[in-house]
Amino acid sequence: MTDLLEVRDLRTWFHTDRGIVKSVEGISFSLRRGEIMGLVGESGSGKSITGFSLIGLIDRPGRIEAGSSIRFGGRELVGLDERELRGIRGKDISMVFQDPMMTLNPVLKIIDQIGMAIRAHEQVSDAEIRRRAVEALDRVRIVEPERKVDQYPHEFSGGMRQRVAIAIALLHRPRLVIADEPTTALDVSVQAEILKVVKSLVAEMGTSLIWISHDLATVSSIADKITVMRRGEIVEAGPVRKVLDAPRHPYTQALLDALPSRSQPGELLASGATEAAGRLDPSKLSGTAVGAPADPQFIQIRHIDKLFQRPAGLLRRLGMQLGLASEPARVHAVKSASLSIARGEILGLVGESGSGKSTLGRILCGIIAPSAGTVSVGGEPVMQGERKRGTKVQMIFQDPFASLDPRRTIFQSVAEGPIVHGLCTKAEARAYVERWLRAVAFDPALANRYPHQFSGGQRQRIAIARALAMQPEVIVCDEPVASLDVSIQAQVINLLMELRRHLNLTLLFISHDLSVVHHLCDRVVVMRHGEIVETGSASEIFHAPKQPYTRMLLDAIPRLAS
Amino acid sequence: MSAATTTGSVSPLAQFWRDFRRNKVAVVALTVVVLIVFVAVFAPFIVPQDPYDLKSLVLRDARRPPGYVGRDGMLHLLGTDSQGRDLLSAIVYGLRISLQMGLMAGAIAFTIGAVVGCTAAYVRGRIEALIMRIVDIQLSFPAILLAFVVAALLGQGKQQLILALVFAQYAYFVRTAHGAAAAERQKDYVQAALSVPMGGWFVITRHILPNALPPLIVVATVQVASAISLEATLSFLGVGLPATEPSLGMLISNGFQYLMSGRYWIAIYPGVALIILIMAINLVGDQIRDQLNPRLRK
Amino acid sequence: MASFIIRRLAQALVVLLVMSVLVFAGVYVIGNPVDVLISPDATQAIRQQVIEQYGLDLPVWQQYLQFLQRLLTGDLGRSFVFNMPVGTLIAQKLPATLELTLIAVFFASGIGIPLGVYAGYRPDSKTSRLIMAASILGFSVPTFWIGLMLIMVFAVQLGILPAGGRGATRELIGVPFSFLTLDGWSHLILPALNLSLFKMSMICRLAASGTREVMLTDTIKFARAAGIPERTILRRHVLKLISIPLVTVFGLELGSTLAFALVTETIFSWPGLGKLIVDSITSLDRPVMVAYLMLVSALFVVINLCVDLAYALLDPRLRHGKN
Repeated sequence: MTDLLEVRDLRTWFHTDRGIVKSVEGISFSLRRGEIMGLVGESGSGKSITGFSLIGLIDRPGRIEAGSSIRFGGRELVGLDERELRGIRGKDISMVFQDPMMTLNPVLKIIDQIGMAIRAHEQVSDAEIRRRAVEALDRVRIVEPERKVDQYPHEFSGGMRQRVAIAIALLHRPRLVIADEPTTALDVSVQAEILKVVKSLVAEMGTSLIWISHDLATVSSIADKITVMRRGEIVEAGPVRKVLDAPRHPYTQALLDALPSRSQPGELLASGATEAAGRLDPSKLSGTAVGAPADPQFIQIRHIDKLFQRPAGLLRRLGMQLGLASEPARVHAVKSASLSIARGEILGLVGESGSGKSTLGRILCGIIAPSAGTVSVGGEPVMQGERKRGTKVQMIFQDPFASLDPRRTIFQSVAEGPIVHGLCTKAEARAYVERWLRAVAFDPALANRYPHQFSGGQRQRIAIARALAMQPEVIVCDEPVASLDVSIQAQVINLLMELRRHLNLTLLFISHDLSVVHHLCDRVVVMRHGEIVETGSASEIFHAPKQPYTRMLLDAIPRLAS
Repeated sequence: MSAATTTGSVSPLAQFWRDFRRNKVAVVALTVVVLIVFVAVFAPFIVPQDPYDLKSLVLRDARRPPGYVGRDGMLHLLGTDSQGRDLLSAIVYGLRISLQMGLMAGAIAFTIGAVVGCTAAYVRGRIEALIMRIVDIQLSFPAILLAFVVAALLGQGKQQLILALVFAQYAYFVRTAHGAAAAERQKDYVQAALSVPMGGWFVITRHILPNALPPLIVVATVQVASAISLEATLSFLGVGLPATEPSLGMLISNGFQYLMSGRYWIAIYPGVALIILIMAINLVGDQIRDQLNPRLRK
Repeated sequence: MASFIIRRLAQALVVLLVMSVLVFAGVYVIGNPVDVLISPDATQAIRQQVIEQYGLDLPVWQQYLQFLQRLLTGDLGRSFVFNMPVGTLIAQKLPATLELTLIAVFFASGIGIPLGVYAGYRPDSKTSRLIMAASILGFSVPTFWIGLMLIMVFAVQLGILPAGGRGATRELIGVPFSFLTLDGWSHLILPALNLSLFKMSMICRLAASGTREVMLTDTIKFARAAGIPERTILRRHVLKLISIPLVTVFGLELGSTLAFALVTETIFSWPGLGKLIVDSITSLDRPVMVAYLMLVSALFVVINLCVDLAYALLDPRLRHGKN
């Protein structure tokens, strides 16, 4: 037997007040020494719970059910007491978590956190701790490790913190590392670097790795084999090549088909969810943009600047006069940005976190007033002073769980805008709302329910219906698919493409996901640190980027190995 | 996966009540609160004696122990106080006054807090900074001290006392409302309403306020309980209600003199009633708080 | 860091100024200032003399400046009731209150924090439920009533502890304290316990909810995944993380306990500031009220300043000058 890990019939259930939730339901797999397994699944598939089950860190009311077996290096882990498990954690099996901003203790120095992890399994001197901490940081390629060990986590960027977490996980050269979505919270360029570091370290140490992710592309770039989970069960497992090229299970096939990078730009994506939701019904839809003449300068954004600064209090201003206090810190979110969008165009606005893309989108929509510059749509300014004029521009937001008021029904949420702005009367509102809900393939019979009764994909469609019901000419989409599962993501992308076609909508599509942008957009604008770096048609940007930054972003996109 | 399969429309409030019912202690506490409110409202029809009616008081029956049967044949279940009042009746009327003070002060402070806090969170900038600075300074002074000083300056009386209680407590409401509203203000659904665009007042009243209410309600339970306790304390210290409005605090204060001579009941029973009321309110508030904390949800 | 301290100091000064305006307005303008300065039974001649001496015929802002000037020079007026300078009077009473308050706060945190941390660490255990139930009872019972009960049980029924007073004191750096003698302790224990019960429940609940939230964070999960022993996690991670909110609470509670002392002192006839202020309010001894309010404001400002500084010391994010 060369298997390092052998999982047989693992079942992890949560015994909640409202009944039993079977998060992991009888899965089996094995892992050889030095092997890398990608564990893939959408939200609720039980992939993370599987990871936590392996090191016995399941919080109450969850527990591993009797009859489950986890054999690690020939030793049965299920049923071990807390003390024995502790001896294994961090030493033989260790774990890296999703959000590096949350995992490190903000009030302890890096060296203390590393020191605690070392002393969890060994008796060593302070000098030895320092030596090994420096060595550990150096191993994950953090520059100036001698200085960095004495810093606090807040002095590190997100990517650097994740490296520290990886360094801590590798301290005792464990035989197995479980990485739970370790790059999901990071920018693509940072993700690419982390992938590189992990790959080489794992190879160097001969460590086995379970890489848990929702993203098939990242997984395929690091793993030897892939295991696909769905609703607590394994639906397919096998070598990367085989799973990607010849998936046997329809679910795996559907996951692959839903990836924008696998189909031609502009085509509808194959999506089971789209079919399940039923056909959208664009008849009877009116929109002010339908049949409007072409206008290459439809939206004009001219020299937009945005400074965020907290107002200085009376005392502080006095202090500033006397030279005792400094000005409050300010963030220059957008720097002299200019661009135009043609009517009916989908413009992709891409950039990493902190690039100012979201702020620019909100300025276009009129939620935030720019510090300088003007925005006009069809020749009319969007804002008058601090106030928004008109309803031509509407917006769709990233998090479908936050973008609907939890205390109002779907009907109330969709109807309030049109009623206030006279697009329909109170008496007509029912029929009016139903029409727009149908347009996004949402069953109007459910309109009296509350948002918490719907899934993320359903909520995002409701949010789109709410924006459409204002009969806008322009919709700003701020990362509308970023927090959705791939299959749902495909459905929303399809919906946006269809609606654009039927209603002649102009879309500003803000995203960090270049493959989605490539699929959907006609033209692309790249932003970095508040400035527009490059503008061009989608094919220019993706096939012949001029700027090194754009090229770097493109290179960092995880791709399905082909 | 469970959300989409629930049938019918389940409002957040209905869901909340379903979860609340699971905690037996909280349900009992809620029942006690409802019962006390009921008794206090219908006090004149329930109690054996009207403690305000001086004619019915027999001074010779003063300071009698529990179970004493008076000259007029009336059973004094909890004994009588120093003026010959039936203690049970006096306690029920005391509860009536305590609840009145607590609820009135709570309602006024709640309203001020909700309006000022939500508005501050909505307008932001200088006005917000100024309001919150004032509130922070006030919060660094203990409620008891503020209430005591204001009550002492204003003199005895119901209105004065309510004013003192409101002054001591409104800042808690403002801060809570502001915190909750500022968090809601950032959320996408408020941004969505603003992008429509909806008017500021509409957004505050229809979106921000309803969603900022739950933490305010938790604070309200705690503050009403503490207002009742404060009122009793102030009356005990002699700066609260006048002698014509015998609140629980004053009953206890009167009983204090007789404690040393072994006539314990005059001070104890009003205190027990007070504690049951305050504790029941706190238990209900505690359950609501636990239910509202998303991080503790299972 | 330096600018942070300067800013806080400046803020503290502003707060004190605002308080002086409020007290001035509350006591001098709303009430009749002559009543504040002169005992009601003084003759007309003395009245006139004092009005001129204190410039009560001057415009309000000049009166305020004079009021401020007198405050700064330590002239707080004379108490009608005790017929002595208020400054001296307060200096006599302050040590007793400080002694009682500090001991009560140490009781409260010394018992409340460990219980709270335990209850937050194992929220589902029987002991924790008991602690949490007791703490709800603790902050539901009015302080004055529990004081009466303590007297009834320990002084009247059992007769083992005195019902009031300060007992024998011994001087430390020229100030008399009760905690230095056994008799003093027997007088101190009941009021200190009385004063601390409410605070103890409060602190216990805050520590419990703080610990409970911290235990659910990824920081703790990550530490567990690294195999760090529970004791180390509790001692180094949890305590360090909840120490920041606890310091704030400690500071606020210190101030609030100081204020609550007026209830306890009244019940146990503890000769401190609280008793003084209650007596002076009932006898309308306004100079004492003014002095008490200013002193308490100053104390709170100092306490808040200390809390802010402690906060900055404990939280590296603040220490490095981020907002």
